[in-house]
Amino acid sequence: MEPAFEIVVTALLVIAGTFGLIGSFGLLRLTDAMQRLHAPTKATTVGVGAALIASVIDLYLYRSELTWQELLVAVFLFITAPITALFLAKIHLHQTVPRDLLPPTGTGRDWATFDQTANGPTPELPKD
Amino acid sequence: MSLALIAALPFLGALLPGLLIRSGRNACALATGTVTALALLMLGLHAPAVLSGEVIHTRIEWMPALGLNANFFLDGLGLLFAGLILGIGLLIILYARFYLSSRDPMGQFYTYLLLFQGAMVGIVLSDNILLLLVFWELTSLSSFLLIGYWKHLPEGRQGARMALAVTGTGGLAMIAGMLILGQIAGSYDLSVILQSREAIQASDWYLPALVLILLGCFTKSAQFPFHFWLPHAMAAPTPVSAYLHSATMVKAGLFLMARMWPVLAGTPEWFYLVATTGLVTMVVAAKIALFKDDLKALLAFSTVSHLGLVTMLLGFGTKAAAIAAIFHIINHATFKAALFMCAGIVDHETHTRDLKRLGGLRRLMPVTFALSTIAALSMAGVPPLNGFLSKEMMLEEVAHTAWAGQVWLMPAFATLGALFSVAYSLRFIAHGFLGPVRKDYPSKPHDPPFGMWAAPAVLVLLLVAIGLAPMPVAGWLVDAAAGATTGGLVHAHISHWHGLTPALWMSVAAIGGGLILLSAHRPLMRAWLATPRPEAKRLFDGVLEPLATAARGVTQGLHDGALSRYFAIATVAVVTAGAAAFLTGSHQGGTRAPTPVDLVPVVGWFLLIAATVALVLRHHDRFLSLVFVGVVGLIVSMGFAYLSAPDLALTQILVEVATVILLLLALNFLPKRTPAETGLARRLRDGAIACAAGLGSGGLIYLLMTRNAAFPSIADYHLANAKTGGGGTNVVNVILVDFRGFDTFGEITVLGIAALVIFALTETVLRAGPANDRLLGWSQRHRQAGDRHPLMFVVATRMVLPIALMVGIYIFLRGHNLPGGGFIAGLVVAVAALMQYMASGFGWTSARKRVEYHALIAVGVLIAAAAGVGSWFAGRPFLTSAYGYVTLPPLEKFELATAMVFDIGVFLTVLGAVMLALASISRIAVRAGERVSATPYDVDLPGDGYGDR
Repeated sequence: MEPAFEIVVTALLVIAGTFGLIGSFGLLRLTDAMQRLHAPTKATTVGVGAALIASVIDLYLYRSELTWQELLVAVFLFITAPITALFLAKIHLHQTVPRDLLPPTGTGRDWATFDQTANGPTPELPKD
Repeated sequence: MSLALIAALPFLGALLPGLLIRSGRNACALATGTVTALALLMLGLHAPAVLSGEVIHTRIEWMPALGLNANFFLDGLGLLFAGLILGIGLLIILYARFYLSSRDPMGQFYTYLLLFQGAMVGIVLSDNILLLLVFWELTSLSSFLLIGYWKHLPEGRQGARMALAVTGTGGLAMIAGMLILGQIAGSYDLSVILQSREAIQASDWYLPALVLILLGCFTKSAQFPFHFWLPHAMAAPTPVSAYLHSATMVKAGLFLMARMWPVLAGTPEWFYLVATTGLVTMVVAAKIALFKDDLKALLAFSTVSHLGLVTMLLGFGTKAAAIAAIFHIINHATFKAALFMCAGIVDHETHTRDLKRLGGLRRLMPVTFALSTIAALSMAGVPPLNGFLSKEMMLEEVAHTAWAGQVWLMPAFATLGALFSVAYSLRFIAHGFLGPVRKDYPSKPHDPPFGMWAAPAVLVLLLVAIGLAPMPVAGWLVDAAAGATTGGLVHAHISHWHGLTPALWMSVAAIGGGLILLSAHRPLMRAWLATPRPEAKRLFDGVLEPLATAARGVTQGLHDGALSRYFAIATVAVVTAGAAAFLTGSHQGGTRAPTPVDLVPVVGWFLLIAATVALVLRHHDRFLSLVFVGVVGLIVSMGFAYLSAPDLALTQILVEVATVILLLLALNFLPKRTPAETGLARRLRDGAIACAAGLGSGGLIYLLMTRNAAFPSIADYHLANAKTGGGGTNVVNVILVDFRGFDTFGEITVLGIAALVIFALTETVLRAGPANDRLLGWSQRHRQAGDRHPLMFVVATRMVLPIALMVGIYIFLRGHNLPGGGFIAGLVVAVAALMQYMASGFGWTSARKRVEYHALIAVGVLIAAAAGVGSWFAGRPFLTSAYGYVTLPPLEKFELATAMVFDIGVFLTVLGAVMLALASISRIAVRAGERVSATPYDVDLPGDGYGDR
């Protein structure tokens, strides 16, 4: 195997480890819940992403296997991580932040998670 | 045609009435009648062979190691009884069609009747005494259902319970007796036992076996002192009484005595036990019958009396007496069934069965009067009817029998019994039908429609025919049945005139005395009412009530409905048993060296312990507990993965996900905190039990893991045969779908049932009641989010759905060779679907599904069953799997196994079960006020007019 690729794989693994560490450290260090939300996303995106790319390259070059699992894992993580963050933020807004401290949304409606106005026509089940 | 089929037909047919009642009462009765008629026809096809002296056998091996085989045989005795059961059964079905009112659930009635009929036919056709016992118990159970058919009547329920208690107890005694008999004879096959007369009668165990078997027979045939249940069973609808007490249930005891006659009869023990009981029963019951005002009670006691008569004859142990007994069984069946049906008609038309309120029906109900009179005269033993013939034969036998050296004793008592019999039979006519027409009947009486009196009319015609021409009409049947009973060739000589024999004089005395007794009935009745009598029901209750109270005390002490108590009892029992075994046995330390400790397991172990401890400490906060439970589940899954059990790990993690989601949904409707309900002492006690159990199982696992197993493990067999035998390299999956496929089949069935139970429980909660009220008044403690279904979440789940489905299919397809399989795939797809429901709400999402979850479960189980049954067509046992390799360009060569079809069944059942659980919880949510979303997401869309407001 080319040393250059070895360096790439190694570098990717180091990046992955570093971002994982930074993410964990941030989770400990940051004070506000909203700030803390940012820390683990670094670990999941760049951290895990780099490790997965390293795995793909390594498997392809070492064992001549082209695997799709890593790609799927990455796609799956990228889809789910924001959702987790969204729900954590929603709960945070609901349970800890006083309503009057929230900035205005700039539209006619409230923040989505508080908005209680009716949504469209009277709800009814589709016929089919 | 197989005899087994004759016995099975009523059981199979019992499925029909319940279904056909939807097509109307006529269709239901017709179907039931067709089943019985078909069985009767099949029996009739065997009749010529049996009558020519042949014995027909059908042998099916069931559990040969236990001596329990489904062996049937048909001889003259079996033919007679099966004919009576099916023939009178047919008439009863016709009668019941007209008797039952529109409020009575007729389908249920016919179902019970056919079950009972099948059990009776089973008794008389069994060639294996263990099989016979099974059918015997079935008659007790099905007669319980029949007697208690009018569930709303307390008498019906109590009568049914009493009949079950008495006949059931007798049945238990008989099981013991039959087992002894089987041990002596060395076989449980009747045809073998019937050949072992000498061995049985010479055995020391003869008397215990005899007593135990007779207990069974006497309780079933209501012999003194067990006769009390039969009158109480009269709370049943009349068709049931007519069937059970003329031709079937109570005759089962007589049948068994006749069946066992060749081996048990002929000894002094037999004579004194059976003949004495019969004689006492005959006289006592006949006397009581005379003083009963209720038509059915009169007939009930007369039945007991006539059963006593037959029992006595069988007790004599002579061939001639056995012939008389068989003949009287036929005659009794005809006149008693007819009389019961007539009593039912009177009850149906006048709304009373009380003789004191009846009388004068002769002109109002001429047909019923004619039928009743002929049948009652036959019962009284008036020539030339058939009752006279068999009574003469009985008296003839009695006249030659001495009891303990006293020649006068038996004839005197038998004449007394016959005298009472004449008196009550004539009273049935005189007080019911004769006399002046009254004005105060509860309902205006008139003859019923033809359908209702057709059945008794057939029987009356039959009894007249037997009476007028006994030899051509019934002689052949008596010969065949008596021949089979006594085990030899028999030629009965039944005639009206035997000359001036003692029997004739006794008969004359009985009729004359009976008339005198009837004319003096009023003062006698007064005297009877004035004398104190033991009340059977009170005595019975007095015995049974303390027993029931004690049983209830034990049951409620152990099962008080609190889950924690069941757990505590079970845990303490297991721990005690384990501790006792450990402390009394010897044990040594393990022989295996422990493996070195790595960092990863230590971390996992620490997390596991920490989560468990935290769970115990913080269990009042339910959401937090769920988090800790999740941690435990994840560590366990990781443990599986670490210990090279990927299948288990995959399953565990998916089960965790599905469980946590479902629990979260359920917790929404429960208090968020568990209140402290128990005191410190109780918590300490429970804690001690839990700790002991935990330490015990921990110790056990430690002991197991530090030594080699005592037996060679079956793992090697599975490893060696998975590829060659099951065609898969994933041993776990091959075990699930092939080696232990039957277990899996059972498990998915249980899973499906569990899901249906959840659905049913929800159904109950949603019915009007306190739980429903609480849901209707539900108010969320927390403020609800405005966007219940956030756009981001919805879009993400839609994107994940195809990925998850693909993963599911992939895991399913590779399951046979690599970790995966139907169970895991089912869970993956279920979780993917769960996410859609979470994202857009249940209402919106389920409106877009095409398949009902119930159907999914059913189809899954059916596919799995079909995969199993398929192997039958290849001549292999259930669930044998076959596999082969297929090349389908452009794909690589791949394997197809029938086990895969089975796995599809597993997949569908798992999916259906999880989704049905979700659907059930969602129904609760909707009841609690959850709105059904009209759109997939609750956010403002640009341009929909709402964002700008």
